[in-house]
Amino acid sequence: MAALRRVSVHLGRVCRCSNRIIVSRRNLSEQTSSDESDKKESTERSTHFGFESINESEKTGKVHEVFSNVASKYDVMNDAMSLGVHRLWKDRFMQVLDPLPGTRLLDVAGGTGDIAFRFINWVKEKEQQQRKATPGAEFRLNPLETDEPASTPEFPSAEDYLNTEQRADTSDTDGKKDSKVIVCDINQSMLEVGKERAKKLELEDDVVWVTGNAEELPFPDNSVDAYTIAFGIRNVTHIEKALCEAYRVLTPGGRFLCLEFSQVSNPLISSVYDLYSFQVIPVLGELIASDWKSYQYLVESIRKFPNQEEFAEMIREAGFRMVSYDNLTSGVAAIHSGFKI
Amino acid sequence: MEFSLWSSPPAPPNAEEWTPPLYPEHVPTSFLQKALLTVGSAAVAITDPYRHDMIAVLGETTGYYALMRIRDQMKADPVGQQILSERPRINTRTIDLEELRALPEGTFGKEYVNWLDRNDVTPDSRAPVKFIDDEELAYVIQRYREIHDLFHTLLDMPTNMLGECTVKMFEAVHTGLPMCALGAVFGPLRLSSKQRWKLRNYYFPWAVRAGYSTKTLMNVYFEKRFHEPLEDLKADLKIPPPPHIPSSTIVNSNHSRLYRS
Repeated sequence: MAALRRVSVHLGRVCRCSNRIIVSRRNLSEQTSSDESDKKESTERSTHFGFESINESEKTGKVHEVFSNVASKYDVMNDAMSLGVHRLWKDRFMQVLDPLPGTRLLDVAGGTGDIAFRFINWVKEKEQQQRKATPGAEFRLNPLETDEPASTPEFPSAEDYLNTEQRADTSDTDGKKDSKVIVCDINQSMLEVGKERAKKLELEDDVVWVTGNAEELPFPDNSVDAYTIAFGIRNVTHIEKALCEAYRVLTPGGRFLCLEFSQVSNPLISSVYDLYSFQVIPVLGELIASDWKSYQYLVESIRKFPNQEEFAEMIREAGFRMVSYDNLTSGVAAIHSGFKI
Repeated sequence: MEFSLWSSPPAPPNAEEWTPPLYPEHVPTSFLQKALLTVGSAAVAITDPYRHDMIAVLGETTGYYALMRIRDQMKADPVGQQILSERPRINTRTIDLEELRALPEGTFGKEYVNWLDRNDVTPDSRAPVKFIDDEELAYVIQRYREIHDLFHTLLDMPTNMLGECTVKMFEAVHTGLPMCALGAVFGPLRLSSKQRWKLRNYYFPWAVRAGYSTKTLMNVYFEKRFHEPLEDLKADLKIPPPPHIPSSTIVNSNHSRLYRS
């Protein structure tokens, strides 16, 4: 492994996850990214928590605390802060994903279920369209829906990788039904809010809720067709690890899709956005959720996240190809896409 | 120092270095943020009276100048100075409620715990100060918040909306805090017309008189006076007894219009 890396210095960087050599457009004599990851694992490094500097080992706990505090008001705050625009972003996200019926989706950091519910509605809508498009389908002995259970024997049962706390909760969704979407989140409070919402929307049978860390997913290799993460990846301590895990669990041909806040390049829009972010959002947090600090963390963590190009490069380094991104609302948010091919 | 609408003391919002706050829980805010908080907290407080933290925030964002005046009053008084230097706190860790319960009936301490039990409140429910950009003034407003329940005991007012409005009017006159004035003016909007009639004719005039006549309560070291008989303490502090509303004047809301001046 080390020999391969030394040789690759002249050609480009070695992809951490697939050991492919990526020829970077930048200076080819840069240190390999794998050397950097060795350094990180050996000593306690500091990282950022918003603008604050803390030890890496503390970040996961602090982020967990933030989301336990905001869980009950999370959706109300999203609407208030973005004036409802986050719904449009997530609708667009699902349009870009455009999943077909039979897709197995893993939604990481999916907490309260926004993406999962949109996925279910999209797929159900698609199924209806397919049924209408092929008349007489409902009279066939094997209508289209039964094509999907063919994929479920390979689909791992939820109980194989659930944490012990989860087993009691998901005993009624143990894979006998078509569990096409798994929502994985590190924070149990967010998942609880999601489960409540699923009940209200009468979608509780279609979603499996799993507690897990994006850096160490409790799923086997090559087990999902699509991996989505919406507004979650900037909270992960080691983004590269999360990207590698994404690569690992996707089947070949699978798609990685990420919706995240990004950098606004237009200086006029950027100054208005900064003013709004720093002056108004923490105030809204205090008024609606009695929690200034969590929302201060939110706006600071957005500034600390890499910009569109840098993040795209990180996705490439994890092994994904055909990496592209689309800006939403002038760069306030961006959808990054990559394929495991 | 340049005045900017949106820079926060002591550090601008986009600073890379973390500036330590002036006191634990301090959140530096800009003028614009304070203005937004004022309007927002007032709106939330009036629509959801259970959000006591909003009233606290309103007090902090609007109270800076009144607090400076109170601090000057405290510095001009020997007991006030003692309070400022010792910084006593009132919560279940600093006040031994069991000891107060053991005091004889009629003493200030005993009446205080009786009042706490009657109204089902505890001295621990006060939110910490966040938006005051001066460490000493943060203590002053914290002290005001913590002795608010003692005001209730001295004025013999319960924690229902009627009692709170009365105490707020008293505090508005006595301390000069704008939040108290806002509470006294807008709080009654949530009351029935019969209660507003009582406020208008009995409680508010009494609260205003009491607010002016009472000796500055921020300069009273209450923790050292729990053993005193309540009536003697009230006489010493010049607090007039609460108004007695004769039962013949208590009318239903239809007739109350006749009695409005």
